[in-house]
Amino acid sequence: MKGTPLAAGLAVLAIVFLVVAVLYAFGVLQIAVSDSHASHHYTHAVLFVVLAVASLVGANFARQKKGIYATDRPMKTRR
Amino acid sequence: MGLLQGATELFPVSSLGHAVLIPSLVHWKFKTSDASFVPFLVLLHLGTAGALLVIYRQQWIAIIRGFFTAAFRGQIKTDAERLSMLLLVGTIPAGILGVFLEHSLKSLFANPKAAAGFLAINGFLMLGAEILRRRAERRAAVAGRDRVEQEEGFGDAEHISFRAAALVGAIQALALLPGISRSGVTIGGGLLAGLRHQEAARFSFLLATPIIAAAGLIEVPLLFSSTVPIGEYLAGAVLAFVAAYLSARFLLRYFRSGRLDPYGWYCVAAGLASLVLLTFGA
Repeated sequence: MKGTPLAAGLAVLAIVFLVVAVLYAFGVLQIAVSDSHASHHYTHAVLFVVLAVASLVGANFARQKKGIYATDRPMKTRR
Repeated sequence: MGLLQGATELFPVSSLGHAVLIPSLVHWKFKTSDASFVPFLVLLHLGTAGALLVIYRQQWIAIIRGFFTAAFRGQIKTDAERLSMLLLVGTIPAGILGVFLEHSLKSLFANPKAAAGFLAINGFLMLGAEILRRRAERRAAVAGRDRVEQEEGFGDAEHISFRAAALVGAIQALALLPGISRSGVTIGGGLLAGLRHQEAARFSFLLATPIIAAAGLIEVPLLFSSTVPIGEYLAGAVLAFVAAYLSARFLLRYFRSGRLDPYGWYCVAAGLASLVLLTFGA
């Protein structure tokens, strides 16, 4: 599944994680929190920032690398 | 408490379990149910994380540099880059489980009997990991050799698979249970993944640092906002740093040829003895 679709999916996921992180940081999101009256949930926000970074890194790894694989891969002959 | 936490955090005998059990057993005036108890423990953990950062400072520089290089390049080319990605993959499951399970597990912090029971289970887990490791040694036909030679038949932390790194990271979350040792279960997991004892300990220590540091930095403001003797707590953190530094140095030397067995038996004995004392004692 390596390629552009996976990279795009991971990039979208990273954006979603970042939005969730912001919502937790400002206390808008109250899902799975210990204190639902707290105005900020920084632990959750940090976790989702890390997930966003990991998704972005994954997206970059999944992206097609022009100029690297083009020379490394053996040439295929068409029949 | 600082010396106790620093020493027991890296030794695979559960620092949290000891921090809950010992005050109860010796009747210290230390309320484990107090609101400042967890932030205090986190402050002690920061001392431990500081010791690990000092010990692995060169490696952390290479890991951080390797992370950014590999992340921007989109390819892993060096061992340091691979290790940085392994640590990221290992940290995520522990972070997710830690954040979402922490609240439900915090109630166990005040229960010394639960800590004693989990300490015994922690011992059995480590003994089980060593039994499986001995089987692997027999399969690898290194069973009859010298311990150092036996260890050479197994791998480095940099060459663990990403799936194994994620699993070792996930089982790290078991350490939220007081009595289960984070280093114990992660070293055990590393052994099952085919690492040498010393490398399993190194991977465990490296994996611990970001989680401990992040948890500490988030919880420390709670400590300052409560009415706690901050001077004493900081002194505890310094002692934790010293104890953790010496413990890590000792353990890395010990695991060149040593096994988890002594710690496993200690945890089983201490857990069961504490359970008996807490149930039938004064």
